[in-house]
Amino acid sequence: MDVKKVVLAYSGGLDTSVIIPWLKENYGCEVVCFAANVGQGEELEGLKERAINSGASKIYIEDLSAEYVKDYIWPTLKADADYEGYLLGTSTARPLIAKYLVKIAEQEAADAVVHGATGKGNDQVRFEVSARALNPRLKVIAPWRLWDIKSREDAIAYLQERHLPVPVKKKRPYSVDRNLWHLSHEGADLEDPANEPPGDLYLMTVPPEKAPDQPTFLEIGFDQGVPCTIDGQAYDGVALIEELNKVGGANGVGLWDMVENRLVGMKSRGVYETPGGTILYRAHQALEMITLDRDTLHFKQIVAQRYAELVYNGLWFSPLREALASFVDETQRTVTGTVRMKLYKGNCAHVGIVSPFSLYDEGIASFGFSELYDHKDAAGFINLFSLPLRVRAFMKERVEQK
Amino acid sequence: MDVKKVVLAYSGGLDTSVAIPWFKDNFGCEVICFTADLGQEEELKGLEERSKRAGASKIYIKDLKQEFVEDYIFPTLKANAVYEGKYLLGTSISRPLIAKYLVEVAEAEGADAVAHGATGKGNDQVRFDISLQSLNPSLKVIAPWRIWDLGSRADAINYAIARGIELPVSRGPYSTDRNIWHLSHEGADLEDPAKEPPGDVLMLITPPEKAPDEPAYVEIGFEQGAPRSLNGRRTDAVAMLQELNRIAAAHGVGIIDMVSNRLVGIKSRGVYECPGGTVLYYAHRELEYLTLDRNTLHYKEGAAHRFAELCYDGLWFSPLREALSAFFDETQKTVTGTVRLKLFKGNCISAGATSPYSLYQEGFATFGRFELYDHKDAQGFINLFGLPLRVRAMMKKRAGLKK
Repeated sequence: MDVKKVVLAYSGGLDTSVIIPWLKENYGCEVVCFAANVGQGEELEGLKERAINSGASKIYIEDLSAEYVKDYIWPTLKADADYEGYLLGTSTARPLIAKYLVKIAEQEAADAVVHGATGKGNDQVRFEVSARALNPRLKVIAPWRLWDIKSREDAIAYLQERHLPVPVKKKRPYSVDRNLWHLSHEGADLEDPANEPPGDLYLMTVPPEKAPDQPTFLEIGFDQGVPCTIDGQAYDGVALIEELNKVGGANGVGLWDMVENRLVGMKSRGVYETPGGTILYRAHQALEMITLDRDTLHFKQIVAQRYAELVYNGLWFSPLREALASFVDETQRTVTGTVRMKLYKGNCAHVGIVSPFSLYDEGIASFGFSELYDHKDAAGFINLFSLPLRVRAFMKERVEQK
Repeated sequence: MDVKKVVLAYSGGLDTSVAIPWFKDNFGCEVICFTADLGQEEELKGLEERSKRAGASKIYIKDLKQEFVEDYIFPTLKANAVYEGKYLLGTSISRPLIAKYLVEVAEAEGADAVAHGATGKGNDQVRFDISLQSLNPSLKVIAPWRIWDLGSRADAINYAIARGIELPVSRGPYSTDRNIWHLSHEGADLEDPAKEPPGDVLMLITPPEKAPDEPAYVEIGFEQGAPRSLNGRRTDAVAMLQELNRIAAAHGVGIIDMVSNRLVGIKSRGVYECPGGTVLYYAHRELEYLTLDRNTLHYKEGAAHRFAELCYDGLWFSPLREALSAFFDETQKTVTGTVRLKLFKGNCISAGATSPYSLYQEGFATFGRFELYDHKDAQGFINLFGLPLRVRAMMKKRAGLKK
């Protein structure tokens, strides 16, 4: 493959540090790095020097947190989309990173983009499908599918042989992906689903056993499905999630341990920390309980399932995802109000829901009489609702007699 | 019930003609009539005198064809919504529009109730009542058929004769509903689904056996899912549908005979004539085959099913119907192009489709080499696509499972 210039999605970790010299050796190409800040909370300042020392010609560092929240997290939250229970933290970040990889590649007139995802995971699919959906002419290089490096030790040896800096060795054995929305753990002893996650695994969340003995209450305000206040105070999206991560994490909220079906056909075990996200999903669903009618709510649950599959499978930039988002937006017009949440040792429950657009009417649901609901109507309703079953019962009687 | 002024959805037929004196007898109220012109092609001119002679104080006759086509038919077409695989929802989607204007007239007139002539056994009572209630929950809705003692057509005729009301000309033994989209037939000998519809039941469509021996070609141009031109001529939606109805009907296209599940729990048999609609649905689908990706097309089929239920069940003015329309509209952004069809003795046959947004690339589907598609990719794709089943097969072997 003839490649003169590439843009690499660079994290500063071991893999992408090896990729820079590997690309130069194998393609003789210029390597431009791109690092996205999606709230991973790691040091981004030293990155420039490290990338250049590893052999990159240039690095772009962009803060995408606000865009990530507004255009990726909120639409997913409005849909109530979860994949087999997973709140899609990594899945929603990849298309955004791909979007900027493509943008920089076009700006730099590069002929390929590169990512450090392995050949066994979902992320390779998400990066590449997104990049191709945005620019079908760009080549995509995934070194993990090409090179002979098989392990961490191989990678370190590769750098040492070339007298290149080796990023500080992590003490933790787990593979981690972190952003503003969540933190995922995979690998090592977690690979056996028979093993309970060790107590020191969590980085954002206090284990429920160690959480405070007193519950914490907070009130979240939504405007058309989008969270915008905590306890009456306005927050921008990024600050709101940071604050809820803090409070949720302190109360042991948002741990999710699962075996999931990867798109590439295998099952894998992951442990996720999504403290703020869990609070927001629960609160949002609580608000929808009083503001959406039955038909919309039920249909939306099916939409959410498909939406989650698309996001998980890397099809963010697809017509169906966009059309489903239009559906969801239309349903959110009255999803406005406040939800009071109680956080207590891993529990996260709504304890008070208020909306100017509530469809819940105490007078109808309680046992009093009201003009809207006449008990006598129920007889006719039930007679007609059950009519097909009565007809069927008559049919069976008739057939059995014969 | 205290009612001073009522607005009645008036067709000029027997039921609504009888309803006028019945209201005055039973409520002592003023009766205002409202008639929507939805393309039923019946004489609307005599209606004013007839309604007044029956005792109405006033009648509103409104041409709603344009609104019906643009705001009710086209959204349903964009969805490809079909109820139970056959019915193109002609009556279902007209009721909410009539209800909308009933409410408008009632509010303008300061009436305290609206009324319709639908019976207590059908879908239309539900569609009228629910649409009316969703638009103005304070208005009373009166459905005389659920209240009065008239049990049959003969009772109604006697009631009319006793009060000197002139009887409308009978339209044959069947109960029909007609608008620009379709014509439905129910009742009489059609009630037995074992019987083929008699040759004379059809009013619009030439039976296929009698259709011309030469096919007709039509070319329909769509813009974002809505038909905008016929045979290369851009026309307004109403004129185009009327023209298409004429051509398709002449070639025996659009006869639908079905037993459907009414919302009230009854199965009923209906025969529908939907010539232009059948052609438009067929053409629209052809264009979507070219322009929609697999995921969107497949999901849209499921959504269409739910949309059809909502329309059929009278839930047009509901948040789910509106949200689904937002979904469909988004899918239709590239459903632009032209479709050529051959109409021949009841058949509607594809004869070529083109779109500037076509996703079909000849180079792919045929066996040529192409940069985008490398045959070798298929090996990896199939290995991973089938991986869960291979893992399962290995597990079964390991665990000694036979089945």
